[in-house]
Amino acid sequence: MNKYNIMLLCASPRRKGTSAMLLERVRNLTGGDVVFLPQKDSLEEFAMTMKQAETIVISGPCYINTYPARLIELLETASRSGGFSGQKLYGIINGGMPYIHTHRHGLTTLQLFAEQNHLSWQGGFVLGGGAMLDGKPLENHMSRKKVVPAFNQFIRHIAEGSSSLDSLYEQAQTPPGRFVTRIFSKFLTSMVLKNLKKHGHDPNAPNWYLRQQG
Amino acid sequence: MTAVIISDNRVGNWSRTLREAVLHTGTHVVRFTVNKLDIRPCTACSSCSGKTYGRCVIQDDMQKVLPKIAACRALVLISPVIFGGVSHHIKKVMDRMCALGDPRYYMNNGELVKGMSGQTMNYYMVGVGDKLSEAERSAFFALHKENRIIMNVEGSAFILDSRTDNVSIEAIAKEIAHV
Repeated sequence: MNKYNIMLLCASPRRKGTSAMLLERVRNLTGGDVVFLPQKDSLEEFAMTMKQAETIVISGPCYINTYPARLIELLETASRSGGFSGQKLYGIINGGMPYIHTHRHGLTTLQLFAEQNHLSWQGGFVLGGGAMLDGKPLENHMSRKKVVPAFNQFIRHIAEGSSSLDSLYEQAQTPPGRFVTRIFSKFLTSMVLKNLKKHGHDPNAPNWYLRQQG
Repeated sequence: MTAVIISDNRVGNWSRTLREAVLHTGTHVVRFTVNKLDIRPCTACSSCSGKTYGRCVIQDDMQKVLPKIAACRALVLISPVIFGGVSHHIKKVMDRMCALGDPRYYMNNGELVKGMSGQTMNYYMVGVGDKLSEAERSAFFALHKENRIIMNVEGSAFILDSRTDNVSIEAIAKEIAHV
């Protein structure tokens, strides 16, 4: 596979975050270049470049349970102009919560987009607990022992052009139990509070927009 | 109480119809049509959960929408059903709402959740579309369910099509108005 027929599309506004790190892992095996979704201006031209690829891999963060608005805009734009012809589509979505169900909708969106626009949906990978990596290698993931080999297998599917099943990422991630969840919750909250204190904010104060309204 | 209705203008007359039905229950309604507003995408700068806690630093029309959402008791998003979710116009609003979220973590049903910052609002998603597949419909309801979990709020999702009658609209309006 060469760089002219695979498009590695990063749908995150962050260039060095987890979405880009995961795509870089894909690129190491498949070749090609990682392209970043433009965050400004019309996406008409960008949507056209998707149609020139034979394989498209989209990696993005999970914002409120699915991909960011800008990716949805790209899908809407690409769908309007049409012209897909069986391109293979893979998706990767990563989010902070250590659960698959929180982020799963992103892949459903890509699958429906593919089915409605003559692309060939090849499956995806949901990574929970991904935001905590903040761009650091996957080997730092809390479920690294299972997640790293599963993600590597997913990349092999992309390189071979074969489809990847949901069970691959589902079996690699077990939700933490109550005890660990409680510790997580306390630890993460203490980080948040420390950050708010540093900036001189009271976490219990009414929202800023409400304070402006009196 | 105030209901905020945010709609994509591709939903035809449904936004106006629902607004009138909610007004009819005696509820104050603030309505925004997102396509007419300048709302830029969230840049994941994290300022709203740190440096400018509770406030989004992007200066655009979202600065007019956020105070209304912050003070409302019911938020209603009306969107064409697109790939089993909402349109990018509506999604931009959802992404930018993180400024109103509580950055702390809580536990609910044994899972980590977040919540809204000191706010008790109900959250409704109204999808519009004819001839939607079962996969599209179930994806739309699944998105609303996950949104409810992560925001720790109550509310429902509805799908309207050309066969939806006034009786159904009135029932939805009553639910939104909590009457």
